[in-house]
Amino acid sequence: MPYLEVRAIRKTYPGGVLANDDIHFNVEAGEIHGLVGENGAGKSTLMKILYGMEQPDSGEIWLGGQRAHIAHPQAAIQLGIGMVHQHFQLVPTLTVAENIALGRETRRGLFADRGVMRERVRALSDQFGLHVNPDALVSDLSVGLQQRVEILKMLYRNARLLILDEPSAVLTPQEVVSLFEVLRRLVAEGCTAIFITHKLDEIMTLCDRATVLRRGQVVGTVETARVTPAEIARLMVGHELEPPLARKASAAESRDRLIVRDLQTGDARLQNTTVNFSVKSGEILGIAGMEGNGQTGLVEALIGLRPDAKGDILLDGTNLHGLSTRDRRKRGLALIPEDRNREGLSRPMRIWENLASGEYDRSPLNTGGVLRLERMRTAARALMERFDIRAPNEGVAVSTLSGGNAQKVVIARELATPPAVLIASQPTRGLDIGATGFVHEQLLNLREQGCGVLLISADLDELLALSDRIAVLFEGRILRIFPREEATREQIGLAMAGKVESEQAR
Amino acid sequence: MKTSFVASFSRTLVTVLLALLVGGLIMQLSGKDAMGAYQVLWNSAVGSPRALANTLLAATPLIFTGLATLIAFKAGIFNVGVEGSLYVGAFAAAWVGFTFVDMPGILLIPLAFFAGGLVGGLWGLIPGYLKARLRVDEIVTTIMLNYVAILFTNYLVTGPFFVPGMANAMSAEVAPQAQLPRLMERSQLNISFLLALVVLALVAFLLRRTALGYEIQTLGTNATFARWMGMPVARTILLVMFLSGLIGGLAGAGQALGVHYRFVGGFSQGLGFDGIVITLLGRNTPGGVLLASLFLGALRSGASTMEMFTQIPRDLIDIVTALLIFFVAVEVTVPKVWKYWRGGSKTQMAASGSER
Amino acid sequence: METGELILNIVASTLRLSTPLLLAAMAGLLSLQVGQVNIGLEGLMLAGAFTTVVVGFWLGSTWLGVLAAIIVGMLLAALFTLVVTRFKANLIVSGLAINLLASGSTAYLLKVLFDTSGTLSPASLESLPTVNIPVLSDIPVIGSLVFSQSPLVYVSWLMVPLTALFLYRSIPGTHIRAIGQNEEAARSVGIPVRRRQYLALMLGGGLCGLAGAHLAVGDLALFREDMTAGRGFIALAAVYFAAGRPRWAALACLLFGMFEALQFRLQLISSTPPQFFQMLPYVMVVVVLAIISARKEWRKGW
Repeated sequence: MPYLEVRAIRKTYPGGVLANDDIHFNVEAGEIHGLVGENGAGKSTLMKILYGMEQPDSGEIWLGGQRAHIAHPQAAIQLGIGMVHQHFQLVPTLTVAENIALGRETRRGLFADRGVMRERVRALSDQFGLHVNPDALVSDLSVGLQQRVEILKMLYRNARLLILDEPSAVLTPQEVVSLFEVLRRLVAEGCTAIFITHKLDEIMTLCDRATVLRRGQVVGTVETARVTPAEIARLMVGHELEPPLARKASAAESRDRLIVRDLQTGDARLQNTTVNFSVKSGEILGIAGMEGNGQTGLVEALIGLRPDAKGDILLDGTNLHGLSTRDRRKRGLALIPEDRNREGLSRPMRIWENLASGEYDRSPLNTGGVLRLERMRTAARALMERFDIRAPNEGVAVSTLSGGNAQKVVIARELATPPAVLIASQPTRGLDIGATGFVHEQLLNLREQGCGVLLISADLDELLALSDRIAVLFEGRILRIFPREEATREQIGLAMAGKVESEQAR
Repeated sequence: MKTSFVASFSRTLVTVLLALLVGGLIMQLSGKDAMGAYQVLWNSAVGSPRALANTLLAATPLIFTGLATLIAFKAGIFNVGVEGSLYVGAFAAAWVGFTFVDMPGILLIPLAFFAGGLVGGLWGLIPGYLKARLRVDEIVTTIMLNYVAILFTNYLVTGPFFVPGMANAMSAEVAPQAQLPRLMERSQLNISFLLALVVLALVAFLLRRTALGYEIQTLGTNATFARWMGMPVARTILLVMFLSGLIGGLAGAGQALGVHYRFVGGFSQGLGFDGIVITLLGRNTPGGVLLASLFLGALRSGASTMEMFTQIPRDLIDIVTALLIFFVAVEVTVPKVWKYWRGGSKTQMAASGSER
Repeated sequence: METGELILNIVASTLRLSTPLLLAAMAGLLSLQVGQVNIGLEGLMLAGAFTTVVVGFWLGSTWLGVLAAIIVGMLLAALFTLVVTRFKANLIVSGLAINLLASGSTAYLLKVLFDTSGTLSPASLESLPTVNIPVLSDIPVIGSLVFSQSPLVYVSWLMVPLTALFLYRSIPGTHIRAIGQNEEAARSVGIPVRRRQYLALMLGGGLCGLAGAHLAVGDLALFREDMTAGRGFIALAAVYFAAGRPRWAALACLLFGMFEALQFRLQLISSTPPQFFQMLPYVMVVVVLAIISARKEWRKGW
């Protein structure tokens, strides 16, 4: 009998996003069970359901042979389920012991019995080999140690099943190694762990079994001893055949439109790594890589939001170094940002207002600082027509649009005048098939027109379908650039896991 | 758009009536005749041309400070420092008024307003700079700088600009030609009211029709997006704080030149803070600011007459205003809370924060 | 006046003048630490001062007046908490409303109940008696200066360590700090967040009531309209100056109290304008905040 059994969990969010679709999986007592999948595959939703932060629409959870009703996190804790969030739930100015005991203090009158709490924390810390000083202030601890405090917090509450949500994402490689030791020790002491990640090598080294999610569904549970990383990668990114996209030969001229030379993004976690690549006219350069390998820093450095970035960025021969975001955009750099609602749109503002946000500061939308509202609206209507933005009219707030239509607003704005180079960061994330197809079409059109396109995507299918070359970003640097002909799913998957050398050696 | 205006207007009306109702209750409880008092209040606020003029007079500084607050709020900047700008602006205007006594009024008045606005704007730039360049929270700095402004201007009229023989802290009287022309004989209502209307129109135009207004709106609704679009965020913050201070300074100049005819230490009694109330009541729109200013102006100007005739202290109006603030705050959230209680929105609230 | 005498004089009035600041600052500290800064301290103090005089006069007992002030302070603070937590009203606006409510209703009631405006000083109301601390007050010079004070002065001294002890050592205090720094974390471990917010802010309300009581009956026995004269904001300045740390906030209050004392004394012997000392606390806060932020930005390599 499995320790935890998840049966037919289904969860739809208002707005129609099907986050979990008939999820089944089992976790045996004493195992480290990996839960893998790309962002948006439904891992977070599933974990929130297990921890009582969300309620499933249907389905059952069984724990130790009994049906469990987990209405809220407190109930989960009572059942012995503990969760270590990606964003730590810690109070920086409290000590380790105070944080761990928070809400469950041992009382002595009005005061907390700090001695008893400290001793319990020390005992737990010793038992599981966590080595945390109970009297240290949490704000003085490294991220790795803070994570241990989170783990101890759960153990203090007698958790037997620990859910760790992408615990390695915030750690240095050394810290990851010691985290793994801790987890093995926990399991040896009788705990069970669910380890959420999208890093293949972690699954291979740490987990006994792994369940792979894709687009809200379980695509398989594997025993890690019996599969290769490439096989898991294939499960993760899927290999259903999409209709082949019509790719015309790219424009004959192939001058470099964007050259990135020795770029340091100033990312504290990825110091001493530099990025080098170029994008040619009429080319889509795909950037593959597991998330958190420097994509965010790269995009921010390119668009000019990292004042402390070093290195050269040449756009059609002009060095962008030191130029403001606005000047970079004016010189023909366009951007579809990763988080459209935060970075790409102002949701309370109207469609036409959002569409004008790139051009409002110059003619013809602006004469002497005064906006030409009629022109803005007319231009917006034309763009809505051209980019098939479905809305009652141009005057409705963007917040009323579906994800696909909102993304079309971003695209329409960025492509209204053909850019020299477009940076598209996860441009189809969260979109339905129709909208995804539309975005792909636009990117290919741009390529035919001779623009350079930098496509950053977590979806390997998308990269393979669109890119002329695929660069793999790993721990802040470009590990390898595959020409389209040589790019296979397996090779890219391995490179994404940092395994390029061993592959070549074999 | 139209329906939402009607809806928010009628909701505000209900809130206002509720606050007046509680105010009436307070009067009754203290043994006064509430209905009679409100009748007197109404008559002395709008019952005659002169009463109406006095209402407009009381509304004038409120329009200014409401707009000053509004323009900052629109950019997502919580400027509590309009009061400070008002003081330094008032002093600057008065100084021009009692210094350049030989200048003809047609030059002196604009110059005095210009000085008031400029100094008020520069005063606003202090917290503006701290916010734009050093990311210092503007709320704390503006609150603190208010007191600096009040005390500093007080020092000016008790120290360097002390007028022998004056009992209180006040400057010399401004030249007669600097005293703002009245619009009516038996009321102090003066041309600063017209200036307030002009500024109102300008602010409305600025917010809706100009590139700066567009930047303000974007910054106020999504500052991250504004940065990613390459908008000049720091410059916008500085400009907004300058303009907010400038309008606050004009408010002070209007009071100094049109009501007191001099700078009087501590004269404002919170006119700058009233701007926040006005903006809140006016639902963050220029038109709303006008309506709210007229309403509060009517209450204030009616209250002094009410006090004379009914012995009901005018301070009741402060109580009603405070209640109004609470009621508006409650009214904004109650529909949401109500929906939350009835289920439904719980999942929605959770969903918006999921799957980042 | 002799220099030595002047210094002693200043020390004595510093102690007296910093008392309301200390009490209000501890209230501000509690509100800051729970994450709901209350800029209505001024109003709470004013309401406390008024209540002390009125209730003390009615019941013929100054001490009952002080007790009533504490209760009124707490009730008003509860109203503030309700509005900012349950109804999620803006903190600053709500704080301003509390100030307005207090100044409006005290002035209103003064006229309605006593048919007077400006000042109320009932002849039958006595100020709190001076308390001499045994033994300590017999120390020459310092004894009578420091240990012969109005009782609320001692209370204010006591409140500083008590507030620190409460916030940093007690369970509810720890919860309050946790809520202020990471409400989500506090909620996730099952801390009753709303209740703790009420606790912190209402304790603050009580302290402000005491502060007002000291203004009213600590020295004289009277209420004056707007007699708090910005002290609530000076207390708030002390809190920000100290970045929320009780000990530093207390020191800042003593310093600001000294400025107030100096402003009266120095006027007599030098030409330093009194406003200079009145401004100092506010200027200092702005400067300190600017320096802190500048260092942070500089370290980020901006």
